[in-house]
Amino acid sequence: MSVQAASMPVAAQPKKQGFRVRPSRILINVVLAAIAIFWLVPTIGIAIISLRPNSSFQQSGWWTVFTAPAQLTFSNYQQLFSAGFRAGGVLDSLTTSIAITVPVTILVTLISSLTAYSLVFGRWRGRTVVFLLIVAMLVLPLQMALIPVASLYKVFDTTTGLQVFGSVIGAIIFHVAFGLPFGIFLMRNFYSGIPHDLLEAGRIDGAGEWTLFRKVVMPIGIPALASLAIFQFIWVWNDLLVALIFLSGNTHQTLTLFLYGQTRALSSNYWIISTGAMISIIIPLIVFFAFQRYFVRGVLAGAVK
Amino acid sequence: MAGVVLDDLTKRYDGGALAVDKLNLDIHDGEFVCLVGPSGCGKTTALRMIAGLEEITSGEVRIADRVVNNLPPRDRDIAMVFQSYALYPHMSVRDNMAFGLQLRKTPKADIDKAVVEAARILDLERFLDRKPGQLSGGQRQRVALGRAIVREPAVFLMDEPLSNLDAKLRVQTRAEIARMHTRLAATMIYVTHDQVEAMTMGDRIAVINEGVLQQAGSPKELYELPQNRFVAGFIGSPSMNFVDLKVSQEGGVVRLAGEGAEMRPDDTQSALLRDLGTDTVAVGFRPEHLELAPLTGPGLSVTVVVDVVEFLGNDELIHGSSDGRDMVAIINADNTLTVGQSVTLSCPPRRLHLFNPTTGLRIAKDGVSGNSMVAYRVTTG
Repeated sequence: MSVQAASMPVAAQPKKQGFRVRPSRILINVVLAAIAIFWLVPTIGIAIISLRPNSSFQQSGWWTVFTAPAQLTFSNYQQLFSAGFRAGGVLDSLTTSIAITVPVTILVTLISSLTAYSLVFGRWRGRTVVFLLIVAMLVLPLQMALIPVASLYKVFDTTTGLQVFGSVIGAIIFHVAFGLPFGIFLMRNFYSGIPHDLLEAGRIDGAGEWTLFRKVVMPIGIPALASLAIFQFIWVWNDLLVALIFLSGNTHQTLTLFLYGQTRALSSNYWIISTGAMISIIIPLIVFFAFQRYFVRGVLAGAVK
Repeated sequence: MAGVVLDDLTKRYDGGALAVDKLNLDIHDGEFVCLVGPSGCGKTTALRMIAGLEEITSGEVRIADRVVNNLPPRDRDIAMVFQSYALYPHMSVRDNMAFGLQLRKTPKADIDKAVVEAARILDLERFLDRKPGQLSGGQRQRVALGRAIVREPAVFLMDEPLSNLDAKLRVQTRAEIARMHTRLAATMIYVTHDQVEAMTMGDRIAVINEGVLQQAGSPKELYELPQNRFVAGFIGSPSMNFVDLKVSQEGGVVRLAGEGAEMRPDDTQSALLRDLGTDTVAVGFRPEHLELAPLTGPGLSVTVVVDVVEFLGNDELIHGSSDGRDMVAIINADNTLTVGQSVTLSCPPRRLHLFNPTTGLRIAKDGVSGNSMVAYRVTTG
């Protein structure tokens, strides 16, 4: 990012000045590169720790890798993965995290998008009031709802005999409920920028509401949808608090719970933490790079209007 | 193809504002009708009611003898071109044009054929795979026209389609639309606030003001026989001049004078004024009908102090005032007039329009203008 940001003004210069490299530009680039490296140091450190034999943690610093690269090994990963999908293992945690995060992301983007469509293009009274209520929910802290929702789940469980509290479904419902206000807020503001003429043109072309949503509004909203999906994915993926409460008593843990479990134990588990952390970073990174193109556009999209 | 009938079409908004008031208009199959009027006169609302984008408060819209009041836009067999073009930004030009046909489940081969044909007519073949964002304003407008053409609708509706284009492109696209109309022989309803556009394009023009139809007729009719003062002032550029004259009779000879002007009516006008019996009359005359010459026979003469002279090449546009009343005249540029100069201009009697100063209606011997502008119904053709 930093390099790109610094090089953009250069590209914008007229061609004949392209040959001249101004000293101030070099300085800016050096400073930006230094900041970027500084920012990345902890991640690089954790990555290297995960790639060193677990015994070497207390013997030497991770930076010794640069003078003695031979110590790098995948043994930590092999050891963690060797547990397979057994409950409490890292692979089981990974699947649990995915099982919660993916449905939440899909549900939040889909429901937000549909709600926003109705709030912007629907013809019903009270749309503004409903929207304001939804915005008001944004200020509600998540912590405030933990106990009420937990007891609500328990009441539901005792009356129906089902098991929502402590299940993946329970966590999904909670995450979706708390993801929606922001999602609707973001999508509604994005859709407000779409001219109504476009929908009217669509209606005359023969489209019904569902077709308008799918073929006209959603494709235009892709940048905002991608931004929302990335935000939502990362929030839920990194969540510890909700999982801690709503998955309590469940043998399947999320990755954050798995890592948390290791920190409570003795310090000898640092190799597991660093290796587990690397595994937990990889999925959001894949998601981010897959949607990055849209993400940057989505973040900028609101600014221009 | 089909005609469109508006029968007492009325639109009242929730707040109580009356946008369109009992609009009656028969639009024939294949006719090009322009709805024209100042901003906010209700012409776009009327068009949107025909399109089905606006609910009808009362009255009827009939397309091809079928009442369409409660039909959704897609079932009305219409196509609309929007002022903002309203192209789908994420679709290529090809897909923009094909969208309507795809939704109607037209076979793919037929869609391709229709799109390519429309692109050929509108000179868009090179741009079929581009997105609207990569096109100029004129090209976008042509895509919007193309999107309407491929559908082969019974009626084309156009809402100020040229107002976002620059002057040169506007003239080009105007010709394009006129050619399109000739080629397709389709019924077209065209909304504009620009009376020049309406005059040049329409077979017939309907002038609307404050939601009320003022007059509908051919451009020539509106220009030569405006039925009220509003139409007289709205049609024609620059606008018609008006003076309020006092009527007097001496020994059976009718004379009119006032506001720096005097008029000697011809025989027909004298008879009309005698029958009318009012003491004041609003007289209108167009700038292009004023001559820089003293009056010899019947007609009107007005003394004007020149304020501004605009050189137009062959002609000069003279802005001046006569007894406090603004006057505009177009005269031959060979006459060199200077600012501050006082000149006498004259207008022949057949170019004078007489209006009732209170009702604003045209004073005519056959009473064409009727008594009520509201119920004024036009049938021509």
